[in-house]
Amino acid sequence: MSPIAVSVQNLGKRFHRFHSNRPRTIMEAALSGWRRLKPTDYFWALRNVSFTVAPGQMLGVLGHNGAGKSTLLQLLGGVGRADEGSIQINGRIGALLDLGASFHADLTGRENVFVSAIAAGLTRREVQRRFGAIVEFAELEPFIDSPLRTYSTGMQMRLAFSIAVHTAPDVLLVDEHLSVGDIAFQTKCLDRIMDLKANGCAIVLISQSAEQICELCDQGLWLNQGQIAALGEPHAVADAYARRMAAKSLPQPNQTYSREIEITGVEILDANHNPTRYISSGEGVTFVITYEVHQPLTDAIFSVSISHEDGQIYFNTHTAIAGLSLPLEIGTGQIILKLGRLDLVSNQYFANIGVFARDWSHTYDYHWHQHAFEVGWTPATGGILHPPQQWEIRQKSSSISV
Amino acid sequence: MVPKTQMLPKFKRRQFVYYSDLIAVLVSRELKLLYKRSLLGIAWTLINPLLQLAVFSFVFRGVLQVSIPHYASYAFSGLLIWSWTQTSLVQATGLITNNRALIRQPGFPIAILPIVTVTTGLIHLLLALPVLLIFLAWEGVPLQPVVLLLPVLLAIQFGLTVSLAYPLAAMNVTFRDTQHTVAVILQLMAYLLPIFYALEQVPESFRSIYTLNPMVPLLDAYRKILVYGAMPAWEGILLLGALAAVLLPLGYRIFKRQSDRFVEEL
Repeated sequence: MSPIAVSVQNLGKRFHRFHSNRPRTIMEAALSGWRRLKPTDYFWALRNVSFTVAPGQMLGVLGHNGAGKSTLLQLLGGVGRADEGSIQINGRIGALLDLGASFHADLTGRENVFVSAIAAGLTRREVQRRFGAIVEFAELEPFIDSPLRTYSTGMQMRLAFSIAVHTAPDVLLVDEHLSVGDIAFQTKCLDRIMDLKANGCAIVLISQSAEQICELCDQGLWLNQGQIAALGEPHAVADAYARRMAAKSLPQPNQTYSREIEITGVEILDANHNPTRYISSGEGVTFVITYEVHQPLTDAIFSVSISHEDGQIYFNTHTAIAGLSLPLEIGTGQIILKLGRLDLVSNQYFANIGVFARDWSHTYDYHWHQHAFEVGWTPATGGILHPPQQWEIRQKSSSISV
Repeated sequence: MVPKTQMLPKFKRRQFVYYSDLIAVLVSRELKLLYKRSLLGIAWTLINPLLQLAVFSFVFRGVLQVSIPHYASYAFSGLLIWSWTQTSLVQATGLITNNRALIRQPGFPIAILPIVTVTTGLIHLLLALPVLLIFLAWEGVPLQPVVLLLPVLLAIQFGLTVSLAYPLAAMNVTFRDTQHTVAVILQLMAYLLPIFYALEQVPESFRSIYTLNPMVPLLDAYRKILVYGAMPAWEGILLLGALAAVLLPLGYRIFKRQSDRFVEEL
């Protein structure tokens, strides 16, 4: 067997945009004088995508909707043609996509097995040989000669899945809904996929779930707007993806909260107690929160966190940790948090301020990513922290402090 | 772009077996669906041309006084042959738009679909053939050895129909009314073919235009071997064969070039 099952080089796929009044019928086209038939514009659904998958390897493709995952899978399956680059597939290709789409409700399970399996690339004799295994795997022996319309959706999916995994593909394309049916059957599906993989089948899985990629794949690929955002070790790729997604899914500013207490102002003070947006790494910092109480409360929790713009929280504290009880009466007040030093690396950060009920049951007010400040300057190290540091080298003869 | 395939003889043989299995299973799917969905099933294959035959025989023989020897055999053979091409083309036009699932199936050879449709039509024709034999026997027409040429004519018609089916199927992806347009044109075309009347009845001045339609010499050849037990005009058959040989790769090429954007447009 060749050492490479799938090789994609510099792949690019362009989609055309057409005039919004593009004629859809011959009549309209003739009436519009055969104009507006040419694409007005195009965009790249995929660009500069290169990777290889070895037999027995699983590549996980991450990306949110519209990132080009499905387009990639289609091109790999020989559906449509690339505008740039090349795809090389060694061996027969199988797919766990659109499960059961080619089934026909009026045909029996048996007839559908033959149609689907032959359409998926097996000869009649090959289907005959595997028929028993397909039906057994799908757990549908008693129903196989009933019309498909008498099957539940779950039964249809099981049958479709079983057909797809029994075509013995060399390369399998899978979309994220790779397991169907109840938990027991899902486990069976996954086991079967792992079996195929162990027997040298190369698998390309598309998914929106970073977890799934970490669990199953040997290689991760993150597609963002048709381009590779990250490629490599699945955990690293999944982490990067998850962080980006977290930043997008966290609460947005200006969300409305119940506002029994309202945060009316946040000031960031440097070590000299001057308002600032710039803190030197290793210096102290003070957050002054001004609030207004609209309803008397027996207690509340104030929280302060520091996060990066990707949503990762580097520091988080609240008044409950400190054991503070805060009876609040109507009116305004200030609460101040002093940090002795802030040892973050040079970057843009946000101070996030929240006020919560005593039992965290709801949020009175929350400022997320509204108060930006910068920490400077530290050498670019790629880490998060920049504490005071000192190297020491000890040799046998002497010790030198640097 | 396309997965590279090694052209080992063994591989080629598997490919051949595969394509014939694929055509067989898809054709039988079509037939089974037709059979299962209707009370009368396959009988529809016969009912439609027989009803047409009844009506048109009345109109052309009773009302318009057309006198053609062995009229039932003459008209029925013409009707069967033309309706093969007509229904195949109408159905083939909607193939791509009606078969999304198969078009999106990785590795599926889309170009096989028009062949499946025309083959299905051929099977309907073959199923109706015994009825033609009954008409022939009824009208006292003996079959001559020349009837053995039937497969040649069928092959030529098959090739011509498929080569037209390719561009029509592709066109329907861009213009969704192609199917209706094709249906109307072919319906009208039926009247412009010597199915219920003879070419000799067409005024001299129009006759040369008539014979430009490849269906006209084809119908003539079919009738010669089936109804009149005569050798068809060789040059006509050769010409039709040559036409099919030219149009088929051309239609296929057009279809192939368009097929890359089918998925995009569906």
